[in-house]
Amino acid sequence: MRGRVIMSKKKDIVQVKNPKSGHYVKIDRDEGKIIGHKKSEGPYKGVPIARKKSGDKKK
Amino acid sequence: MIYYHPSDGDVYSTSIKYRPQTCFLMTKIGQPIPLVVQEIRSVIMPILTEYSMRLIDADSITSGKDFLFKIWQLIISVPVGIAIIYEGISQQTIANIFYELGFMQAYGKEIIVIKAGDIAIPSDFIRTEYITYDDAFIRHFRDFMNSLDEQADHYVLLADELENNPLISIDYLKRAYLLTGNKEYQDRARLIHKSCDFKGRAKNSVESLMIRF
Repeated sequence: MRGRVIMSKKKDIVQVKNPKSGHYVKIDRDEGKIIGHKKSEGPYKGVPIARKKSGDKKK
Repeated sequence: MIYYHPSDGDVYSTSIKYRPQTCFLMTKIGQPIPLVVQEIRSVIMPILTEYSMRLIDADSITSGKDFLFKIWQLIISVPVGIAIIYEGISQQTIANIFYELGFMQAYGKEIIVIKAGDIAIPSDFIRTEYITYDDAFIRHFRDFMNSLDEQADHYVLLADELENNPLISIDYLKRAYLLTGNKEYQDRARLIHKSCDFKGRAKNSVESLMIRF
């Protein structure tokens, strides 16, 4: 008999670069919160970088 | 955001009259105004105009209410604070300036310190951006002004990504609106508010006050 597989929902996590610090921050979109600030340079590995939606225009 | 009245510490549940694209100037404003302050003001004014920004200071509005409350209302209404400190500035003036800068930083405003002559920045502000009034001043001040657009874009991006946390999302949109004056961000904040189940809340509830910008 096969063991039961527990399916866990994949978390919706993205990262964005903070222009002030120059460091990336990780965001949990499901929870709606910032979950980490990268201390070193460059983005987190394996975490998609969120981009501004096209269509956002200046006044 | 929940605001607390500066004199009694109670929650301030009245609409704020916001001033988008406005910088609040913190420096000596009473007579005699040092020459260097007059000079810096005259240099930054045309640059601010170029970026569609207005400059106000504590003397820009008259009110019968107490002075601290007036300053507080001005500070929370604007997106940017500019402080000018200079060699020979009095202890009293510099204490007021750094008190107001701390206020602004805590309320999520963009701040810049302009430093003229030999004057030290207090250690608590060591990470605060400052520029020296020297030959490269105009270039550095323009860099700061350019960074505001990028900052506004960042706030809009965060508002998008944090939509499951509506009040934070709305607050980021407000900050982007104050920096740019883009009315689209007001509309977007109202949409987020509408999509939440806030029916029956008081007119001056935190969530209702937050979309009044």
